[in-house]
Amino acid sequence: MASVADAVVPGQRLGHVQEFNVGAGTYALQDFIYASVVGLKRIMKQGGDNELPFMTVQRENSQSAIPEIEAIVTCKVVRVNPRFASVNIMVVDGKPCTDDFQGIIRVQDVRATEKDKVKIYNSFRPGDIVRAQVISLGDARSYYLSTAANELGVIFGTSVAGGSLVPISWQEMQCTKTRVIELRKCAKPL
Amino acid sequence: MDRKRVPGPELSVAPLVEYPIDHERWTPQQEKRHDPKRQPEDLRPIYLKTGLISQASGSAYIELENTKLACGVYGPRPVKKIGQGFSGMGVLNCDFKFATFACVKRRNNTRQDPQEKELSQILSQALAPAVRLELLPKSVIDVYITVLESDGWGSCLAAAITAASVALAHAGIEMLDLVAGCSASYMQIGPSISSTTTETSSSSGAGNPITPQIQIFMDADTEEEKYEQGAIVLAYMPSLNEVTHLLQNGKAEGPIINQSVEHCMEACNKVYAVMHHALLESMKESKDA
Repeated sequence: MASVADAVVPGQRLGHVQEFNVGAGTYALQDFIYASVVGLKRIMKQGGDNELPFMTVQRENSQSAIPEIEAIVTCKVVRVNPRFASVNIMVVDGKPCTDDFQGIIRVQDVRATEKDKVKIYNSFRPGDIVRAQVISLGDARSYYLSTAANELGVIFGTSVAGGSLVPISWQEMQCTKTRVIELRKCAKPL
Repeated sequence: MDRKRVPGPELSVAPLVEYPIDHERWTPQQEKRHDPKRQPEDLRPIYLKTGLISQASGSAYIELENTKLACGVYGPRPVKKIGQGFSGMGVLNCDFKFATFACVKRRNNTRQDPQEKELSQILSQALAPAVRLELLPKSVIDVYITVLESDGWGSCLAAAITAASVALAHAGIEMLDLVAGCSASYMQIGPSISSTTTETSSSSGAGNPITPQIQIFMDADTEEEKYEQGAIVLAYMPSLNEVTHLLQNGKAEGPIINQSVEHCMEACNKVYAVMHHALLESMKESKDA
């Protein structure tokens, strides 16, 4: 199926905008669709008969992921203070980043209810692995993340004693070694 | 160990004698190019390969006979520089560096000298219009060029543009088109100036005005550049038919410049074929591996 004829390079003309919709790895300029990455040309059929098929180019060498708004990211907490927790974003939508991006989870973005009662120190600790959603590109330095959803929050952490933590409620985790209960904003296990 | 300098070999060897005693230096008066097999419009044969720098996101190596350079692309990665404000667009950061042994004269190996800074800037100006930086907010793409051997700065810059755009495509960065680079020099050829003027004035009389004959030499090498009147370097997106950068220096008449821009665009289309081929080869290789 994959043949040399389907291999395209950036700038190669793929079709007319009246024939196809613009899909991933392509762009439209004036009346034509061009490839914007090196890869294989694919035409994706859409459900409806009167809808145009999508013209896409499947990347050959994928570029390293960068965070975008609404993406689900996996990150590691590096430091906490009363106003926010700083994190390093390591994975974006299941794709690893070659270099860590900086993000912060502000105190008002930790959970959806009782926002005024949130204490960062009872939600995240340095070293925790957190699943979060990007809510904004943020300032010059960091992306703004949120954990205000059931499936978002701490997914892995170690206790003071050094044992790994297992979630026992949405805001408590228990150490597997010492049975000590620590407070966290837990993610609902998927 | 001294890391600032390239340590010399322990044994000393007699220097290579570059020219035989009866060697005659090339001058444009010989009405031939420095390499007699090349016609004025001929480029040097190009060797282009991707993926030589394994730790880079994308890389390319280009060789035009004695012009040899490597390009590595890293990124997109987060902006590290403090003091740079929020930018909704990505930044293309180019770094042009000559190896210490690249030119006839030995070059500094630590800092960028003014020429390298200028070339870096030209390179990022030539490439930025082709890269879809609006898709990479708050990120930076680093392009590093290392010239291993330089034979003519014009061809060096043109080769850098070509190699960098291939390396960017190899890194999987979204681009509008590949950018091909090409250089040309204006050369005054034929018998030396004094004899030309006397001949034309005596023989043609009321004919043409006395102007020295200007020939356009594509992809000039160092020896030819010594005699050039001026030169242009053109960066061109062949399939969109757009020029991204035009650098002209020296002295030339309008028609000559027009003509050389056209020659360069033609040559860029040839370079594009090589770039296209190199990228398809890299796809084939990754499939086999």
